[in-house]
Amino acid sequence: MSAQTAGPETLGHLSEEPPPVDPNSKQAKTITGKSPLRIAFGRLARDKIAVVCAAVVLFFVLVAVFAGAICSIFNVDTETVLATTRVDFLNNGLPLKGPPNHGFDPAHPFGVAPNTGNDNLAFWVYGCRTSLMIASIATLFASVLGVSLGLLAGFLGGPVDKIISFFTDFFLTVPFLLAALTIAPIVSQRFATSPHYARIQLIDLIVVLSVFGWMGIARLIRGEVLSLREREFIQAARVLGMPTRRILVKELLPNLVAPIVVSISLMLPAFVAAEAGLAFLGIGVTSGISWGQTINTASNFFEVYPLFLWEPLIGIVALVLALNLLGDAIRDALDPKTRR
Amino acid sequence: MRRNKPLAVLAGAALFALAACGGSSDNPTSGSTKTFDPSATDIAKDPKRAAPAADIDGATAGGTITVYLPGDPGPDSLDPTEGWSVTGNSIQQALTSRSLTQYARDPESGDMVLVPDLATDLGTPNGDFTEWTFTIRDDAKWQDGSTITPEEVAWGITRSMDSDTFPGGPGTEYSQTYFKDAGKYKGPYTDKGKTWDGVSVNGQDITIKMAKPFPDMDYWGAFMAMGPSPLGKASDPPDYGQNIQSNGPYKVESFRPNEELTLVKNDQWDPKSDPARHQYADRWVFKFNQDTAKVDQIMLSDNTDSQTALSTGIGSNNYQRANTELGDRLFQQSAQCTSFLSPDYTKIKDIRVRKALAYAYPYQDMWLATGEVPGVTRVPANSIMPPGMAGKKEFFADGEQFKFDPEKSKELLKEAGYAPGDYKISMIYYEADPLAVAGQKQLVKGFQEAGFTVVNGGYPVQDSPYNIWLNPDDPLNKKLNLRGVNWCSDWPSGLTMLPPLTKTGAAYNTAQFSEPAIDQKMSDIPSMPLADQAAAWGALDEEIETKYFPIIPTAFRNDLFVFGSKIGNGVGDGALGAPDYKDLYVSQ
Repeated sequence: MSAQTAGPETLGHLSEEPPPVDPNSKQAKTITGKSPLRIAFGRLARDKIAVVCAAVVLFFVLVAVFAGAICSIFNVDTETVLATTRVDFLNNGLPLKGPPNHGFDPAHPFGVAPNTGNDNLAFWVYGCRTSLMIASIATLFASVLGVSLGLLAGFLGGPVDKIISFFTDFFLTVPFLLAALTIAPIVSQRFATSPHYARIQLIDLIVVLSVFGWMGIARLIRGEVLSLREREFIQAARVLGMPTRRILVKELLPNLVAPIVVSISLMLPAFVAAEAGLAFLGIGVTSGISWGQTINTASNFFEVYPLFLWEPLIGIVALVLALNLLGDAIRDALDPKTRR
Repeated sequence: MRRNKPLAVLAGAALFALAACGGSSDNPTSGSTKTFDPSATDIAKDPKRAAPAADIDGATAGGTITVYLPGDPGPDSLDPTEGWSVTGNSIQQALTSRSLTQYARDPESGDMVLVPDLATDLGTPNGDFTEWTFTIRDDAKWQDGSTITPEEVAWGITRSMDSDTFPGGPGTEYSQTYFKDAGKYKGPYTDKGKTWDGVSVNGQDITIKMAKPFPDMDYWGAFMAMGPSPLGKASDPPDYGQNIQSNGPYKVESFRPNEELTLVKNDQWDPKSDPARHQYADRWVFKFNQDTAKVDQIMLSDNTDSQTALSTGIGSNNYQRANTELGDRLFQQSAQCTSFLSPDYTKIKDIRVRKALAYAYPYQDMWLATGEVPGVTRVPANSIMPPGMAGKKEFFADGEQFKFDPEKSKELLKEAGYAPGDYKISMIYYEADPLAVAGQKQLVKGFQEAGFTVVNGGYPVQDSPYNIWLNPDDPLNKKLNLRGVNWCSDWPSGLTMLPPLTKTGAAYNTAQFSEPAIDQKMSDIPSMPLADQAAAWGALDEEIETKYFPIIPTAFRNDLFVFGSKIGNGVGDGALGAPDYKDLYVSQ
């Protein structure tokens, strides 16, 4: 004899629905009128880790935005100086003043780089700007590309879906690092004589990062759209004769805010780390200022001048960690099914 | 011989930047005991040196020696005819490829001596040095056991005439200048079917005929290009370069260009047939293109692996530590090398501008930014010929040692009619190396202070700058008016410094310098009485530099080697500026 798998009794226990409340009670009044995003924001604000991480991210954003102002407050700059004016050529090219062999030097709060005499604070601040600028622009492009392709593939289906899915899979099979290692020198060679070389290199990096970064979000959105498009409200919109564009933007997109926000918040730290990693490998930003490049130089001096390595390292670790934890917290807040 | 190490990863800097250094290093020794060491004045000759070579005191057989070459890509091909780099020649000439003559290190003085190799003596010239005869010894063998015949040596020499097949080989400079029919006979692969009577074989004797007097043939004989190659198809390029027949104490077990070369004992090599080489270690492993920081740590750690290893360089950041901790195991080798800036003679025509460049170059700062050790691996240079070369004169092209002096530079520019910032310099730098980028920034800053403008701050390039500088058809090369070159002597004579760098059309004449009067003198000097030649080269050096100043010497160079604690007799080879591979052993 078979029993019912989910009887009314068991359903009651498994359900996530809150127990029914009297619509006129005080409790009911505070709940009503809150959008899902607002609820999520409330959850986020109560999450201590999320608040701390948001503060850290905000700090880095402020540093990046006001890089020039910060440098002028401390009276430092990124200009090349003749090395002998700041470093001691008799002593391994270590700085004449300040760490590691002397006390704190107020003229250069973070010290100066060995061999070249560049100011560490100015390079740190502008390195932060490079990192965040590249990561956020690449995230913007990658997510716009990914979301629109995902929406089209999922909603239109048929040959459009087939073609877009093919390209998604194709780009996923291309190894990112290998592609970046191949493309960067070609572009650098091509524009070697251009007066805008540094900017072209920056754009090249952003393009590479976004071209190889949109596939994840496109697949995610396509999957969500596939399940949403059979739902009643979409059917209703179609029956009403809404144009496809309007259905995509007004009906589907608002329902996809949660997955989009989550993947953006996790894409950002990935790009920060990728940018630093590429600079460390000697591709990416080689003509400008970048944390990854400073780390590459500093790793040779770790034993004699550890501070030089710690500064950009702490910058990257703190920023990536804060962005990642914040992203996790946002996902938890937006998705009621995951509870820690 | 060009120094290719700087070209690699570590120091594209090298070209401009390593080239850089110098400046006024008056007192380079606070805290360091080493100072720049000029190389020995002359290389003695010992035509009677007999095989076998005397044993090194305390040497023991067995073990594997690992050689780390930081930032050095090594040779692409092992073909003896192709070899013209310090790295490749020092390894092959010591271990795998024999030639007419060779160098042996005198254990007492540390000086190098030119001794016979495959020839029984150092050759017999006729009265005016237009014909040289070498007697080939009959007991030397290939790795397959067959005897090396005079015909095979003659074939090897004939191959060196082929500049088109071996464009990077030393034959392009020497065989194609001094041997008979130079310029007419293009070598056995390019001029297929033509016969060349420049080399003739008579019993065990081979006779080389010259187009003009060539008194340095015995030194040129120490190049592996002047050694045997298997006859016929067996030595066809380019395959032979990946799969050479060895005739030295070691043979090639495996060779991966730019990565690794493994040599094992060649049991057909007989010590009784060789006056200078030894066969102590069982194996040699050469690791090319190593990361400097990694190698420094390996060598400083003194673990079991590094005890039997050596490194051909050390990062400046670890120099002080190595100097205190390693003692004699940090070995400083002088070499006859000079680094240059080459202003294009056809574009920068005013000598005052070229002198202004010499004052605008921030020697000291470049040197720091590119990680050199001041006063040890680099010192200021005054002439094309490096210190220790016979005939070198202590002159100053502008009355005093060039040092970074922006005011003087601006003054000279003003005399030449240029306001500060007017004069534009187009140059390239090796962007793949952060040290080179840092050096370039210093250079741009220095030039800017001295009244020059560097277009775009220099054009970044992704591969060896030599690939651009040496290619006359390169569109980027055509834009440049400032290049560079690093050059080491092939033997201690001005003949191997001045013509390769300043003769019209010479491969490494990156300044495009051309003066018929100078060309004439360069071709005349080898015909002069032997005793006068050194002084004549020195005088020509002074004449070129004071009258035309076509290339700006920025530094004389030394090298540092690190030997593991179990490497016996860790010393350098002053003739080549490399570790003395012939005499190393693993102490048990």
